[in-house]
Amino acid sequence: MAPLFELANLPDADVVALAQQGREPAYREIVRRYERPVFSLVFRMVRDRESAEELAQDTFLKALNHIDRYRPEFKLSSWLFKIANNVAIDHLRKRRLATVSVSGSPNAATASEIEATSFELASSAPTALDAMESRELGTTIEQAIAGLRPEYRSCILMRHVEGRSYEEIATTLDLPLGTVKTYIHRARHELRRALAGVRDDV
Amino acid sequence: MTHRHLLPDEIDQLLDGEVGFGVAPLEAHVKDCPECQAALDEARVVVDALESLPLLAPSPAFADRVLSEVHVYVPWYIAVRDSAVAAVRPLAPRSQPVRLLLGASALSAAFLVSAAVIWLVGHLDAAVFFASVLRTQVSGAISTAASAIASALFGAPAASYLAHGSAAVLLGSVLLYGMALIVAAVLLRTVAVARRRSRS
Repeated sequence: MAPLFELANLPDADVVALAQQGREPAYREIVRRYERPVFSLVFRMVRDRESAEELAQDTFLKALNHIDRYRPEFKLSSWLFKIANNVAIDHLRKRRLATVSVSGSPNAATASEIEATSFELASSAPTALDAMESRELGTTIEQAIAGLRPEYRSCILMRHVEGRSYEEIATTLDLPLGTVKTYIHRARHELRRALAGVRDDV
Repeated sequence: MTHRHLLPDEIDQLLDGEVGFGVAPLEAHVKDCPECQAALDEARVVVDALESLPLLAPSPAFADRVLSEVHVYVPWYIAVRDSAVAAVRPLAPRSQPVRLLLGASALSAAFLVSAAVIWLVGHLDAAVFFASVLRTQVSGAISTAASAIASALFGAPAASYLAHGSAAVLLGSVLLYGMALIVAAVLLRTVAVARRRSRS
């Protein structure tokens, strides 16, 4: 069996193959490689450290307890992000009141449906609670991300924080390519407006 | 060059660093259009801000917590292989020269066996002959040993009966003898247990 110092140099596919043979160090290596990206994605989605730790833990448990179901044609990181996104979205649905979108129904498929189901809040600026959030999420851009609807948030984070291509995001999130492009375009637009608003205030 | 202002999708194309025939006119337009340049710069501020976001770390005990709850699944063929390796490992010599010697011996034995098998496959008639000789020798040795044992235990008539009796009668006799042994063993054990009980 490959010792740990060698495991660190192996590509993801080989580490997964070792994990599928029941090698515990390979499990640990997978967690070591992806704990930060997965946690970052989930934390920025739910904006609560305790929940994010639990959801990131759920993500790894779901992945590692079913490592035999992993298909090598899928990138390991994409597989983990897919699970992470699903657990985060499920969590947000459960506390829908706190995260209800101001940009229309999550089920709206077309621009007109989004318009029809959207509503205006008195202010879409970050709340006082957001401002008191841990300093990790306290920057202007982080607070602007928090104002996005969850679908936009996962797409924009995967595109610009994780550096994934549009095609990869579409595969990972099970969305049509056109929808991913629309979400990212809209997310950029909303972030631009939020940042411009902050600059104007200053 | 494009003579109208860029559409939002076209600004996205420039932001994403797309390349191709359609992108060059957009870039040329931006160079000469301060409004579109400003729109692109503003969009870049957002992208730069997003791309400079750090990765956030979970608590230090995160990995241990995950691993304490993971069920490590070991496929049966890996478990069998690991058990075999674990069973053989203590038998392996620790000294390097002895290991080398054993390895060389194993290799030589494997080479000789392979050569013999290849030779026999090439000379099937000889293989059949050697097999029949071996069978005759082995069966002769077994019957001699059995006769000697029977003669020692039950006398010369038993040895003669063993040598000349039919196979079915012989098998029946052996079975009867075996059953008699088992009954005797059970009786002896019962007597021994009864004695132990009476002593206690």
